[in-house]
Amino acid sequence: MMDLDPRVYDNTTVNDNDIRNIVFSYLVHNCFKETAESFLTGTGMHQSVDYFIDMDKRKAIFHYVLEGNTIMAIELTAQLAPNLLEENQDLHFDLLGLHFVNLVCSRNCTEALEFAQAKLTPFGITQKNVEKLEDFMALLAYEEPEKSPMFHLLGPERRQSIADNLNQAIIANANFPAYSSMERLIQQATVVRQYLHQELGKDGPPPFSLQAFLKS
Amino acid sequence: MISFHKAWQKDLPSGRYPSMRMAFVILTQIVSARPPGSISPDLIAFGLKKLRICTLVLEKCLLTNHSLSEVDIYGLIEIFMGGAGDEEPPSKRIKSSPPEPGCLVSKSFSLTDNITPLESKMANSLISNGDEDTIGAKGIIKRSEFIRIITKAIYSLGYSRSGAVLEEESGIPLHASTVDCFRKQVLDGDWDGSLASLHKISIFDEEMLKLACFLILEQKFFEQLGKEKISDAIKTLRTEITPLNIKSNRVRELSSCIICPSQHMSLAFVKPGVENLNSRMKLLDELQNVLPPTIMIPEGRLEHLVEQALNVQCEACYFHNSLDTSLSLYTDHHCGKDQIPCQTMQVLRAHSDEVWFVQFSHNGKFLASSSRDNSTIIWEVLEDEELLLKHKLIGHQKPVPMVAWSPDDCQLLTCGLEEVIRRWDVRTGECLQVCEKIGLGFISCGWFPDGKRFFSGITDRSICLWDLDGKELECWKGERIIKTSDLAITNDGKRIISMCRESAIFLLDTEAKLEKLIEENQTITSFSLSRDDEFLLVNLINQEIHLWKITGDPKLVARYEGHKRSRFVIRSCFGGFKQSYIASGSEDSQVYIWHRDTGNLVTTLPGHAGAVNCVSWNPVNPHMLASASDDNSIRVWGVSLLTQRLKSTGSNGVHHCNGVSLNGELIDSCEP
Repeated sequence: MMDLDPRVYDNTTVNDNDIRNIVFSYLVHNCFKETAESFLTGTGMHQSVDYFIDMDKRKAIFHYVLEGNTIMAIELTAQLAPNLLEENQDLHFDLLGLHFVNLVCSRNCTEALEFAQAKLTPFGITQKNVEKLEDFMALLAYEEPEKSPMFHLLGPERRQSIADNLNQAIIANANFPAYSSMERLIQQATVVRQYLHQELGKDGPPPFSLQAFLKS
Repeated sequence: MISFHKAWQKDLPSGRYPSMRMAFVILTQIVSARPPGSISPDLIAFGLKKLRICTLVLEKCLLTNHSLSEVDIYGLIEIFMGGAGDEEPPSKRIKSSPPEPGCLVSKSFSLTDNITPLESKMANSLISNGDEDTIGAKGIIKRSEFIRIITKAIYSLGYSRSGAVLEEESGIPLHASTVDCFRKQVLDGDWDGSLASLHKISIFDEEMLKLACFLILEQKFFEQLGKEKISDAIKTLRTEITPLNIKSNRVRELSSCIICPSQHMSLAFVKPGVENLNSRMKLLDELQNVLPPTIMIPEGRLEHLVEQALNVQCEACYFHNSLDTSLSLYTDHHCGKDQIPCQTMQVLRAHSDEVWFVQFSHNGKFLASSSRDNSTIIWEVLEDEELLLKHKLIGHQKPVPMVAWSPDDCQLLTCGLEEVIRRWDVRTGECLQVCEKIGLGFISCGWFPDGKRFFSGITDRSICLWDLDGKELECWKGERIIKTSDLAITNDGKRIISMCRESAIFLLDTEAKLEKLIEENQTITSFSLSRDDEFLLVNLINQEIHLWKITGDPKLVARYEGHKRSRFVIRSCFGGFKQSYIASGSEDSQVYIWHRDTGNLVTTLPGHAGAVNCVSWNPVNPHMLASASDDNSIRVWGVSLLTQRLKSTGSNGVHHCNGVSLNGELIDSCEP
C-alpha cells in the first residue's frame, strides 16, 4: 500500500548513472562475474579492472563455505588475504566450528573430538566463546545431532551467514565498502522511516516494508 | 507332599534337627507343587523365613529333649503350609488356610492346639511375630516401618552386627533383596547390573526412574573420564545418557567435560585423587534422596522423628522460660510456672518521685530508670543478680519520660519532657552532650543501629536525626507526628516506626521509600518493637495490647487484655526465653504477664503501691524483670530461690554460688 502520494515521487529525479552503479556494486559484491561483465558492456560503463581480479577467488571461497568445505575456504582465504583470519578471530572461530560440526554430522566423533581439542579450545577465552564452545561440544552428546537443541548449528542458514561474513571481511580487507549500495539504500530507507514513525507517531508515515513496497 | 513329611520324620528321631539342606528339599517340593510362574522372589524369601521359624522351634524342642508327637509335626507343617499358601508379603496378617488338597494333613487343627506341648511363651512370640500390623497404643505406627527405621538407625550408629541380628529376628529386612542387590552393585561399580536392578524395583514414577538412571550413568561417565577412557565416556553419553531425554542442560555440561576435564571436574562427584568408593557412596546418598523412601529409608529418619517430637513438646511448654535447654527423652518436657519471674527479689528506692521508665541495657548488665524527679539512675546488675546503684545522672530540669541505650551500651540518651536531650557516658556517668533546639522541646529519643546517630521526636511534630557532634543531619516533618511520639528503628536501620495519627502508626522503609500503616480503632499510647524486628506491640487506650506482625503487610496477630489503664501512659514489652512472653504495667499496681502465642494471662504480680508505668525484661536473663511505679520505686522480679538452686551452674553466667553439682547433689546455701 502506497503511503505517500505517487506524484511526489515525480518531482525527484534519479540519475541513471547512479542506478547503474548501484546495480553493478550488487553484482560485484555477490560475485556474479559474467553478469557484471555483460552489464558493463551493455551499459557502456567503464570500471577499473580491480574488481574482477579477486572475484573468482571470492566466489570460490563463498561456495566452499556454503558447501561446508571450510578447510578449502580457509586455505584460499589465506592465499587471497593473508592475516585476515588472524584479525577476525570471531570469524575464524565460526569457520573452524563449522568444520567441527561437519565432522560430527558425518559421525566422525573421535576425529571431531581431536579437532576440537586441538583447534577450538584455544579460542575459549572470552565468555562468549566459551558458551559457543559448549554449544559445539554438546552436539557430541547426541546420536542424532539434527534432533538436539543445537540443531541450528547444522543448518544452511548458518553456513550462509558465515559465508556472507567472510565475503564482507575479504572485501573490507581490500579497502572496498563491505556492503553493496543497494543493501545500504534499503537499510537507510527503513531506518529513516522508523525514526519518523517513532517521532511523529500516528501522524508520520508507517515503517518501511520492502515487501509492501515491491508489491505496490 | 508325603515324601517330605517322611523325610522330616526320618531326620527327627535320630536327634538331628532339620538342616538347611532339608529346608531346601522342602522348599522345592512346595515350589514344584505350585502353578508355574506364580513364584516370586518375595514368596521364596517368605517361605525361607517360615522355614527358619520352624527350624528354630524344632531346635529348641530338641535341645530341651522335648519329644514331638505326630500332632506336633502336623501342627508345624500347618504353620508352614498355612503361611506359604499366601501370596501376601509377611507384614500382612497370616491366615491359617486349610491345607492344600493332596496333602497328607487331612485334619484341620487350630494353631493354638498344636502348639501347647511346646513352650507356649516362645510359641506365642513366634506366632505373634508378624501377626500385628501396628504397634503402639494408638495403632497408627506400622510395625514394619517402625522396625525398618530402627534397623536403619542402628546401622547408622555403626552397630552393623546388631542391625543384622534385628533384620534376622524380626524377619523384616531393611531393604528388599533387590534393593540390597542394587546397593551392592552401585558400590561395586557394576553399572549395567545396577540399572537392571533399578528396573526391577517397582518404581512407579517414570521421571523418578529416569532421574535415578541419569545419576548412575553420570557416575559411570565420570569414572570413565577419570580413567581416560574418552571414547567409552562419549559412548555412554551418546547412547545411554542423552536418550533419557531429561536434564538437557546437564547433558551440555557433561559434553563440555569431555574436552576440558580439568576445568569441569568440579561438576563431578568424582574428584581426581579421591577414592572411587567415596564418590559411589555419595551417589548412593543422592539416589536415596531421589527414590521413594519406602525403597531406601532416608538417613537419620528416626533422629528426625525424635527431634520433631521434642520440638512439639517444647512449643507446647507453656512456661518454658529458661536458658537451660537440655531436653530428656525419658519424660515429656514440661516446665512449671516457677520459671517465670514472680517473686520480688529487690526493691530499689532511689528516686524521690514517680518512676516513669525503666530499661535494661542490651547486654543485660545495666538497668536505666528515669523519673519525675528529673533524674536518671544507672543500676548495675551484679553476678548474683542483685542491682546496685552505679550513677545518678542529674542535669535535666524537667521530668524524664524516656531513655535510650546505645547499641553498644556505652552511652545513654535521656530526654527531658519537652526539654533537651542529654547524652551520657555509662562508665563515668558524665554528660557528654546536650542537644537543644531553641524554642522547641524534645519528647522522645532513640539510637540508630550504627550507634553514631540518634533521632528525636520534637514538639513541632517533626523527627530529627543527629550525629554525635550535635549536628542535625536530617529532619522529617509533617502532620504525621503527634505529641506523645514513640519511635523505634529496626536493627538493620532500614525501617523507622513512628506514630502518625492518634490511632495509627506508620512504618517508613527508608530504602524502598515505602510507607505502611497500622491502623487501630482506638488511640495508641505506646508501642515497642520485638528483638527480631518482626513484631510490634501496641498499647491502646482501651486497655488492650495488640501484637502486630510488621513484615510484609502489617497484620494483627494477638490481643492481650486484663490490665488497667485509664489516665497514664503504660508501657509493655517483650521478654523471656525467645521473647515468648509479653509483660505490661497497669494502673492497678500490678505487673501483668501473658503468654505471647496463646494470649493467655500467665500471672499478675502484685507488690507495688502505685500504678506500674513501665516494665523491662532482661534480654540476657529470662528470669529477671524490672518494673517502675508511681510509688517511686523499682521492683526487680525473679524466680524463687529453690528454682535458682536447681539451675545448673553457669547456665547463664549470672550467679556462681549454688546449684546442682555434677553428681547430682545439692550444694548447700548461697555464698555472697
